[in-house]
Amino acid sequence: MLPSGWDVTTAVLLAIVAFPVSLVLTRFFMRVNARSGIVGIDVHKVSKPLIPEMCGVSIPFTLILLSAVYVLIGGGNSLMMLAFSLVVGSAAVVGALDDRLKMRGIYKPLLTLLCGLPIVALGLLYPNQVYNPTLQVPIFGVFHLPVIYPLAIPVAISVTSNTTNMLDPLNGTMAGGVSIVSAALLIGVLITNPAPSSVFLYSGLLFAALGFFYFNRYPSRAFAGNVGQLSVGAALGALAILSRTEIASIVAMFPNIQNSFFFLSKIKRFTEHRALTAKPTKLLDDGRLASSSDPKAPLTLVRTLLVGQPAKESEIVSTIFGLYLISAALALITMILMG
Amino acid sequence: MKGLNQRAVALQLMVFVSQWGLMIVGFGILALLVAPLRIQFDPSLGRYFDAAVKAMIALVLSISWLFIWDRQVRLYFYRKREEAAKPV
Repeated sequence: MLPSGWDVTTAVLLAIVAFPVSLVLTRFFMRVNARSGIVGIDVHKVSKPLIPEMCGVSIPFTLILLSAVYVLIGGGNSLMMLAFSLVVGSAAVVGALDDRLKMRGIYKPLLTLLCGLPIVALGLLYPNQVYNPTLQVPIFGVFHLPVIYPLAIPVAISVTSNTTNMLDPLNGTMAGGVSIVSAALLIGVLITNPAPSSVFLYSGLLFAALGFFYFNRYPSRAFAGNVGQLSVGAALGALAILSRTEIASIVAMFPNIQNSFFFLSKIKRFTEHRALTAKPTKLLDDGRLASSSDPKAPLTLVRTLLVGQPAKESEIVSTIFGLYLISAALALITMILMG
Repeated sequence: MKGLNQRAVALQLMVFVSQWGLMIVGFGILALLVAPLRIQFDPSLGRYFDAAVKAMIALVLSISWLFIWDRQVRLYFYRKREEAAKPV
C-alpha cells in the first residue's frame, strides 16, 4: 500500500496530463467542426466572426479518458470514476443533441435530470461506496438524509449543468469560471480531506477546463457549445456529491446561481437565449456592450454588471472572473469551517 | 485584473458575503430546529412523511433566501432604473 501523500501526488501528476490532452483535442475539434460547418456567430463583436462550435466536447472526452487511465493504473475508486464518467458522458450526449437539434428550453433540464441517475443507481447497488447521504454543513455538524439525499441527486446534476450552461454568454466565462471554481474546491479538498480520487477529479477538471480555455478565452477561437457547458456543469455537480463538497460547491457557484435565478424569475419559464424577444444586452457601434433598456429583458449577471455603464467585453469577462474569485474564496472558507 | 469594474465587484461582494452568511444561518436553523423534529403519524409511511415535511421546510427557507438575494441585487443595481420607470 502506497502512502497517502504519494497517492495524492500521483493523482495530481496524472491530472496535469488533462491540460495538453484537452488542448490538442480542442484544436482537433476546431478544425473538424469548422470544416463541417459547425460554427456559431460571435454576436458580441462588431465584425460578427464565425467561430467553430461544440469544441467543448474536448473536456468530457479528456475527463472520461483520464478517469479510465487512472482506474487502469490502480489509482482510484473505480465506482466513483464510473459514476463520474457516466454522469459527464450522458450530459455531453444531451448537450450534443441540443446543439444539433436545437431542442426547446424545457427539454434540457428534464433530460439532465436523467444524467444524475447513474450515481443514484450505483449508490443503491453499493451503499456508502459512491455517495454518503450524510450532509456536512459548516459550523452546525451533519444531517443524515437517507430519503431526501438520493432524490436530490438528479435535481443537483440538472441544476449545476443548466446553470453552467446559462453563464457562458461571453468569451471564456464558462471555462475560466469553472477553472476558478475547481481550483478553489481542489485546494479545499487538499486542505480538509485529500482523498486521491477527489483530488484527481477536481484537478482533472481544472486542467481540462484550462486546456479548453486557452482557445476559448477572449477573443474566442472556439466555442464550447451545449455539449461542453452541460458536461462541465454535470462534472461539478457529480464531484460535489462524490467528494462531499456539496455546500462549498453551492457557494463557489454563487455567480451562476444569481445569473440563473434572475433569468428565470424575470422570464418565468425555461427557454433558450436564442428564443428571447428582449435581449439582456445590446452591442454599441464602438464595440462596447450596454444593458438593455427593454423592461422585459432578463436581469442576467452580465446585464447587472452593465447597469448605467457600458463596457468592453473583455472588461465584463474580467469582472465576472473577479466575482468567481470572491465566491471561490467563500467556498474555501466554507470547507475550512466544515473541517 | 485589466478593466475590472470595481464598483460592481464591491457591490457583488456585499451581496455574496451576506447571502453566504444567511445560507449558514439557514443551515443552522435546519440543523438545530428542523432536523431533530420527529413527525410520524403512520408507522409504515412515517419515515417518508417526516422527510417530506423537512424537505418542504428546507424549500421554504431556500425560497426566502433567494427572495432576499433578489431584493438585495435590485436595491444595489436597479433602484434608480426602477424608480425612473414608476408612473407619476
